[in-house]
Amino acid sequence: MAAEAWAGLALALLLAAPPFLPPYFLEILISVMLFGYLGAAWNILGGYAGQFSFGHAAYFGIGAYTSTLLFLRLGITPWLGMVAGGVLAAAFGLFAGYLSFRYGLRGPYFSLVTLAFAEMLRVVAVNTKAAGSSLGLVIPTRTPAPLDFVFAGKLPYYYVILAMAVGAVWITRRLERSKLGYSLRAIRENEDAAEAAGVDALGMKLRAMAASSFLTALGGTFYAQYFAYIDPTITFGPAVSIQGLLQAIVGGAGTVLGPLLGSFVLTPLSELSRAALRGRAGVDVMVYGLVLMLVISFLPQGLMGALRRRPRPS
Amino acid sequence: MTGDLLLQAAVSGFLLGGVYGLVASGLSLIFGVLRIINFAHGAVMMLGMYAAYWLFTLLGVDPYLCVLITGPAFFALGMVVQRVVIEPNRRAAEHNQLLLTLGLALFLENLALVLWQGDFRTVRPAYAGASFVIGDALVEVPRLVACAGAVVMALALFAFLRLTDVGKAIRALSEEPEGAMLMGIDVRRIRAVAFGIGAGCVAVAGALVTPFFYVAPDVGESFNIMAFVVVVLGGMGNFVGALAGGFIVGLAESLGATLLPGSLKQLVVFALFVLVLLFRPAGLFGGGHGR
Amino acid sequence: MTLLEADGITKRFGGLTAVNGFRLAVDAGEIVGLIGPNGAGKTTVFHLLSGFHAPTEGDIRFKGMSVVGSKPHQICRRGLARTFQIVQPFVNLTALENVMVGAFNRTDDVAAARDRAAEVLEFVGLGRRRDVPARELTLSDRKRLEMARGLATGPELLLLDEVMSGLNPTEIEAIIALIRRIHAQGVALLIIEHVMRAVMALSQRIVVLHHGETIAEGPPDDVARDPRVIEAYLGSGP
Repeated sequence: MAAEAWAGLALALLLAAPPFLPPYFLEILISVMLFGYLGAAWNILGGYAGQFSFGHAAYFGIGAYTSTLLFLRLGITPWLGMVAGGVLAAAFGLFAGYLSFRYGLRGPYFSLVTLAFAEMLRVVAVNTKAAGSSLGLVIPTRTPAPLDFVFAGKLPYYYVILAMAVGAVWITRRLERSKLGYSLRAIRENEDAAEAAGVDALGMKLRAMAASSFLTALGGTFYAQYFAYIDPTITFGPAVSIQGLLQAIVGGAGTVLGPLLGSFVLTPLSELSRAALRGRAGVDVMVYGLVLMLVISFLPQGLMGALRRRPRPS
Repeated sequence: MTGDLLLQAAVSGFLLGGVYGLVASGLSLIFGVLRIINFAHGAVMMLGMYAAYWLFTLLGVDPYLCVLITGPAFFALGMVVQRVVIEPNRRAAEHNQLLLTLGLALFLENLALVLWQGDFRTVRPAYAGASFVIGDALVEVPRLVACAGAVVMALALFAFLRLTDVGKAIRALSEEPEGAMLMGIDVRRIRAVAFGIGAGCVAVAGALVTPFFYVAPDVGESFNIMAFVVVVLGGMGNFVGALAGGFIVGLAESLGATLLPGSLKQLVVFALFVLVLLFRPAGLFGGGHGR
Repeated sequence: MTLLEADGITKRFGGLTAVNGFRLAVDAGEIVGLIGPNGAGKTTVFHLLSGFHAPTEGDIRFKGMSVVGSKPHQICRRGLARTFQIVQPFVNLTALENVMVGAFNRTDDVAAARDRAAEVLEFVGLGRRRDVPARELTLSDRKRLEMARGLATGPELLLLDEVMSGLNPTEIEAIIALIRRIHAQGVALLIIEHVMRAVMALSQRIVVLHHGETIAEGPPDDVARDPRVIEAYLGSGP
C-alpha cells in the first residue's frame, strides 16, 4: 500500500510541476519518461517472461521509421503511423520470437539472436536509399500541428510521454495480476516446470513479445516526433536496446514500477556525469556500465528489490 | 574481372579470418571454462589495440613486438578482472552474468572514449603498405603477418591445453566441471587463468591488426560480433572449431562485401549467425555446447 | 477405463537405447509403481509419457488419443500431471502463486485460480505456508508444493518421480498418507520410487524396469519375490 501512495504522489507532482520547470529540467524529465517507458516495454518480455532481449532497438527503429516514412512520404499523421509502426513491430517480433522460441533458443542464445536481428535491420536501413540511408530522415520543423504530432515547445511532448509511461505502468500492473502474468513468471522461473503445469510456453512468450515490441515501437515514434531526426544508428543501434534493458534491470526487472524508478535514478545520473566532465562523450555510458556491474553484483533484484526488503508480516 | 575481385576478396578475408579465429578461440575458452558469454571480449581487444598504439606512438615499439608486452600484461589484467568482477558473481543467474559482462563492455568502451576520444587513430610502421603478388592476388604483408601470428598463437594455445598441467586442468574443467573439482583442481585459479588467457589472446590479436585496422573505441564492437558468430559457428567451447570458423566467417564477410552493395555484407554474417543458432546450435562441426 | 497406454515405446539417444519396447497400461483410479535400479530408464519413461521427449518408436495413448508429438502443456490439459525427480519450484513465487499456475490449467479467472490453489495447498498440508516464497521452503515442503501444483491442474493421472528421496522416515510416512488421500480423490497414480516399503505399501501393481526394458510386472508380493528383480537390484551394485 505504501508504494501505491508514493506512486500517486509522484504522479500528482509529475502532472502539476512541469509547467514551472526550467527547460533544461523539463528535457531531462522527458528523457526520464521516455527511457522509463522503454524500460517498461522491455520489462514485459525481459522482466516478466524472463527472455532477455538485447535487440529491442529493432522495434524502436521499426516504429520510428514507419511513422516517419508514412508522414514524410504519404502525409499520414504520426498518431496513426504510430499504431502502424506498433503493428509492424509486433509482427516482426512475432516472427523473430517464433523462430527463436520454436527452435528452443533460451538465455544468452536468445539474447544474441535478438542482437543479430536488430543489427540486421540497422544494416538494411543504412542501405535503403528510400529510408535515407545512413543520413537518416529529418522531420522538417514547421508550424505546430497537434494533429500531426508536432507541438510548439516541449511541454506537450512531456505530457504525451508521461501518458505513455503511465499507460505502460498500468498495462504492466494489469498484466501482473492476470493469468498471462502468472504464466509468464512461471516460464521465467522454470520453463519446463511451467509446461508440465499446463502453461503453453511458446504461446505465452509470443504474447509477451507482441506486447513488448508493440509498445517499444510507439516509443520510437515519440522519439522521431520529439527530436525530429532519426538515423539507423540512433534507432536500430545497440544504445537503444541497452537503454530499455538498463532501466528495468537497475530499477527491478519483473516489477511494475522498477523501470520508471530505474530511469529516475539513471537518467539524472547520466546527466550529472555528462555535466561534470563537460564535453566528454561517453561518460554517461561509462557510468551506466559501472552501475550495471554494481547492481548485478550487489542488488540483483534492482532498486525495487532493495526497497522491498522489509520484514514480512507473519 | 569479377574472378580477380573475388579471389582478392577471398585472400584478404581468409587472412583476416585467422585473426577472427584467434579472437574467437579466446571467447570459446572463456565460455568453456566459465560458462559465460563474455560481452567484454571486443572491448578488451580494443584496449589491446590502444596499448599497441600508445607503445608505438610514444615509445616506438613495433606492434608485432609489443605483443610480448601486451600479451602477458593483459593476461594478468584479465585474471584480476575475473577475480574482482566475475568470480564473486559465479553463482548468479545466467542472464545476470551476461549482463555483468555487458556492463563491463560498456564501461571499458566508454572509458576509452572518455580518455582518448573517438578519433580514428592509426599505427603506421614502415611496412604498413608492403605487399606482394601471388598469381592474380595481391597479398598485403600486414594481413599475412597478422594471420600467421594469430595461427601461431592459436596453435601455441592448443599445445598449451594439450601438454601442460594447467592446460589439462582447463580442459578438464570445461568438459567435466564436477569431476574436475573432485580431482582436486584449484577451480578458482583455473577460472582466473582461463579468463586471463582469453584476454591475453584477444589483446595479441588486437596488436596484430593495428597496422591495417583503425584504432577507435568502437572498433571492438565489430570484432565482438564477429567473435560471437565464429564461436557459434565453430561450436561454443569447441576450440578448434573456433579457428576453422574464423576462416569461414572471414571469407563469408569478404566475399559478401564484394558481391553485395554497400555494407550489406554484414547481413551475410548475421544471417549465417541466426541460421546456425536456430538450426545447428552445436556449431557446424558439432562438439559445441548447443543451446 | 484405461487412462494411459504406452505401446511398445522405445527411446534412443544417439547410440544409447534408454527405453526399449516399454509397455504399460494404467487404468482410472489405479496406483502403479515403477521401480528399477538407477539408470534403468524410469525418468526417461516419465519424460516420454509427459511429452518432454518424443519416443523413437511406439505410441502413447492418453484417454484413447495418441499424445506422441504433443507438447507437455497439451498433455497436462488432457489430464496428465507430473512431478520432477529434482524438485522444480518457481523459487521467486510464493507457494500460493506456484500452485495457482497449475490451477490456471482449469480456469482463466484469477480469483478462481487463487481459491483452488488455496484449497489444494490445504489439502497437501501447506496451508500455513501459502505466502512463503518457494525458495524458503524445506525440501519436504517443496515436494508437497510440487505435488500440489500438479494436483491443481486437475489431473486424472499423476506421475510422481521419487517424491520421497531425501526425506526422513517421518516425512515419508506423511507423504504416503498424502498419496493415499490423493488416490481417495479418484486420481490415478504412477509412482517412481526407491523407497521400497512405500512402493510396496501403496501400489496395486508394480512394473520393474531394467536397462530400459520391463523385466517383471505384477502385484507387489510377486514382484518382490521375482528372482530376476532381485538379481537386477543386487547385480547392479549398492
